[in-house]
Amino acid sequence: MTHPRSFLLVDDDIDDILIFQETLKKVDEKIQLFYVHDGKDALDFLAENNGHLPSLIFLDINMPRMDGKECLKHLKHDEKLKNIPVLMYTTSSQSTDIEETMMTGAMCFITKPWGVNELNTLLSAIAHTPVQKLPATLQTLQKNISCFIVC
Amino acid sequence: MILIVDDKYENLFSLKTLLQLYAYDTDTAASGEEALKKILKNEYSVIILDVQMPDMDGYEVAEAISGLNKTRDIPIIFLSAVNIDKRFIAKGYDSGGVDYITKPFDNDLLLMKVKTFHRLYTQRQELKQVEEALRREIEIRKKSQQEVEQINSLLEFKVEERTRDLLQLNKDLENRNAELAQYAYLASHDLQEPLRKIITFIKIIEEKYLKNIPEAKTEMSKVITSSERMRNLINALLSYSKLSAVSLFTPVNVNEVVKDALADLELTIKEKQALIDVTHLPEIEAIPGQMRQMFQNLLSNALKFSKTGVRPQINICHEAVNELSLEAAPDKNGKFIRIHITDNGIGLDESYIDKIFVIFQRLHGKAQYEGTGIGLAIVKKIVEKHNGIIGVKSREGEGSTFTIVLPVKQSNSTN
Repeated sequence: MTHPRSFLLVDDDIDDILIFQETLKKVDEKIQLFYVHDGKDALDFLAENNGHLPSLIFLDINMPRMDGKECLKHLKHDEKLKNIPVLMYTTSSQSTDIEETMMTGAMCFITKPWGVNELNTLLSAIAHTPVQKLPATLQTLQKNISCFIVC
Repeated sequence: MILIVDDKYENLFSLKTLLQLYAYDTDTAASGEEALKKILKNEYSVIILDVQMPDMDGYEVAEAISGLNKTRDIPIIFLSAVNIDKRFIAKGYDSGGVDYITKPFDNDLLLMKVKTFHRLYTQRQELKQVEEALRREIEIRKKSQQEVEQINSLLEFKVEERTRDLLQLNKDLENRNAELAQYAYLASHDLQEPLRKIITFIKIIEEKYLKNIPEAKTEMSKVITSSERMRNLINALLSYSKLSAVSLFTPVNVNEVVKDALADLELTIKEKQALIDVTHLPEIEAIPGQMRQMFQNLLSNALKFSKTGVRPQINICHEAVNELSLEAAPDKNGKFIRIHITDNGIGLDESYIDKIFVIFQRLHGKAQYEGTGIGLAIVKKIVEKHNGIIGVKSREGEGSTFTIVLPVKQSNSTN
């Protein structure tokens, strides 16, 4: 059972990245955070990072150049990358988005939390849970925070 | 009128006198030529024609008469004193006569013959008129039948055209509706994004900078309350517009659905120490997510509009009925399920009942009872999507009972 050591956040919203970064620092300093601003950058980053792959990918949907759905397809078709768990991390709660990404192979679909406290709760849960047990943990978490989680 | 043709004046005179005695109108001609002229000009019912005349004899006159359309039907009686031989008689008939009388003749017989032929001619003319009238009548009928057929096919065409138009209009409307729902969804979805930022950063500011400034904190909490309210509104709008999407009916265990809805409301139930009593509910064909939303909205309403200082008590019970009716007597084998959700809350004035299911209608002051004004509109829309009906009975200060009737099985698999 391995706990996550590094996250890749793929999001074009700079405010969200900042809040995510600050909150994660409070939750667990040791977890390394990489971030890029769109799907293409994410694929480039994963190809170049000296073979070091992140334990988890947080993937936004609406982004320029390459959106999260497209990026997810590339990830799941790549032998080296397809085993990295992907959490969709977005403002969308459209059922078509949920269905499509879950079918493509996302581990969970999470809508961005409203406020730092909820983000803190969410990230703590993720940081302290072995990756394999994440879906079950996140599902129980659903009751305590207002963001929408599908696993 | 009867025409007498003879070249001898005394013959003309005696015949004329005889016929006039019996009230016949008569006319005379002293030669074949004169006779023909008169025949063309006037109308005669019988012609008495002398055979032997100078210039043009009776046969020639008869032939001329028979050759004309206008005159060929006038009966001709030949009169002859000289040509009494059989071949002359035959010639008379050949040239168009109807009778051939030899002199001397019996007055009575002549009169009877004239009378008969006159009557025959008149009858024939009448018959012709009737025939003509009939022919015209038939033509008119044919024409009007054609007109009716034309009008019919025109009508059929118009009906078809109108039906096509209506179907197209209906389709357009459905499309427009779907577009509107999608638009509402996108609009409310896009509104969420900036609001999420506002709330997140307000909370950061409050925590980081306002801890020691109580006045600012109070005012900031008002900003937060308003933002949260807006968030609830947008969420409710989102849920409402999501209802327009097509979804599948599947067997739903209503017990589980109610249990889930109660679990979502756990905090409020504990906080208000509410007592909740639910009978065992059956399985029905429905859209699971929507059923949950329906019970959640109704139960959260029942909790929300409780009396201050009174422990909320909510009862959920049901019965089977055999028609889509709020009033019908229960029937064990009924095809519909009727669910009652009763509370002991503040109730509502009967006169408001029409308003409560309309989107954005709020009956109570905001300060006193929180609500978005969309909850019951969503409930009603869900019930309608499930081909059911909803009603409410209430008295101000004495609680409310919401009643829902739903089909146990849906006739179509989607909505």
